[in-house]
Amino acid sequence: MRLDPRYTWMRQVAALAALLAVWEAADRANLLNPIYAPSPSRVGAALVDLFADGRIWPHLEATFGAALGGLALGILVGVVLGVVAALVPFIAELLEPVMTVLNAIPRVILAPLFVIWLGIGLASKVALSFILVAVLIFFTVFTGIRQVDRRLVERVVTLGGNRRALVRHVYLPSVASWVLGNLKIAVGFAFTGACVGEFVAATEGLGYLLSFAQSTYNAALMFALILLILVVVLLIFGLAGRLEKHLLRWN
Amino acid sequence: MHDLTISYGGEPVLEGASLAVGDGSFVSLVGPSGSGKSSLLRAVIGLQRPLSGTVETGLAPSQIGILFQDDALLPWKTARENVALGLTFNGMLRSKALAEADAWLARLDLAGLGDRFPRRLSGGQRKRVALAQVLAMRPKLMLMDEPFASLDAIVRARVVKDLVALVEREKISVLLVTHDLEEALSLSDDVYLLSQGPRARITEHYDVPLPRPRDPVLSRTHPAFAPLYERLWADLSREVDQRAEAV
Repeated sequence: MRLDPRYTWMRQVAALAALLAVWEAADRANLLNPIYAPSPSRVGAALVDLFADGRIWPHLEATFGAALGGLALGILVGVVLGVVAALVPFIAELLEPVMTVLNAIPRVILAPLFVIWLGIGLASKVALSFILVAVLIFFTVFTGIRQVDRRLVERVVTLGGNRRALVRHVYLPSVASWVLGNLKIAVGFAFTGACVGEFVAATEGLGYLLSFAQSTYNAALMFALILLILVVVLLIFGLAGRLEKHLLRWN
Repeated sequence: MHDLTISYGGEPVLEGASLAVGDGSFVSLVGPSGSGKSSLLRAVIGLQRPLSGTVETGLAPSQIGILFQDDALLPWKTARENVALGLTFNGMLRSKALAEADAWLARLDLAGLGDRFPRRLSGGQRKRVALAQVLAMRPKLMLMDEPFASLDAIVRARVVKDLVALVEREKISVLLVTHDLEEALSLSDDVYLLSQGPRARITEHYDVPLPRPRDPVLSRTHPAFAPLYERLWADLSREVDQRAEAV
């Protein structure tokens, strides 16, 4: 059977709707324990509750603040360190082993340490998001600059371009394209850092709410929060994708 | 250039090369792979420091243009911006450089394609943009490192024809490196043969008495072409065979 690719999304939506319908029906027929697998309607009700009384907003704000703060700082520091290490061999000698170790370990294990150092407030979450993003961007920029297309460098030099022209017309656009190419991954990392940080120790944020839902065995709230985080991250993915598409339209 | 020797650290790839490119003349350098042809061009434009010997052009760097085998256009700049690049590096106002770039694009049959990024151009169009980029600098000397090797025959013939017309009209001196003996003879006033590297040397010089203005395709039917081609082919084959025996 040949499937018309134009209707792929319709088939996917129909399959999801069917799954949810079966899930709901199983719940209504008492075939599922709502403590473990609450029905879609119970999850929907929990989601509506979160927004109806407005208590979700400070948590969303906290998670967004931590993730976007960590993302911005991580990109900035990752780019600067990556550029400096690529241009100054001495700095590369010092930084590369540290970054390699940080890259090799699951960096979320640093969350408790950041809580001890920076407290249970926003700073420890920003720090975790930051470290997740900065290491990714560092390697993106560091290896990217070292592998910059020599032909383009020679082209600019033979057209009379000086060092400044090289940075402006070759290195900066190259770095921008590598960073933008990894922006979606960086966004995912930033939210992972924020949520895990909140999960470990916090007084607000989506991760904190998840931790609360876990401790009270509130699976419906947990599903609602997972769904919310999913939607939020997908929205930001969409924005990052549009930005990437616009800025890398030459590609 | 006089007595040029080029090495990448070990045994020289090219040794004691001397040749002259007269004003407005078209000179080709042919030879087997690994004879240091590209290295020689890189030394002329300053991308490669020779081990010994001298290169004297009497020209400012901006008066020497080079066309590489790859078009090496900046992918994030449009065709127009790529062509304007060298002009702005040499002090021209951006708006004027862009207008100049448009004029060069039109001259090379690329009118209306100025807003396209290189990825949206065909191989032949990209090559023409690269050519416009160099010609816009109004060079006195153009170095070409097998710039048309990647093009298919028809596109190549057209681009080469336009190039010859332009360099003849603008009286630009050209030093072309190529594997293609027919191309070398049909375009050049002088052809130099390099021996097999390492330690490649210029072993022969051929004066090409074909008239100008020249049609690169029709010039192959000129009575002087075939004997020269046979001689060049025989000399090149002998170089390759001698090296094979030595190895």
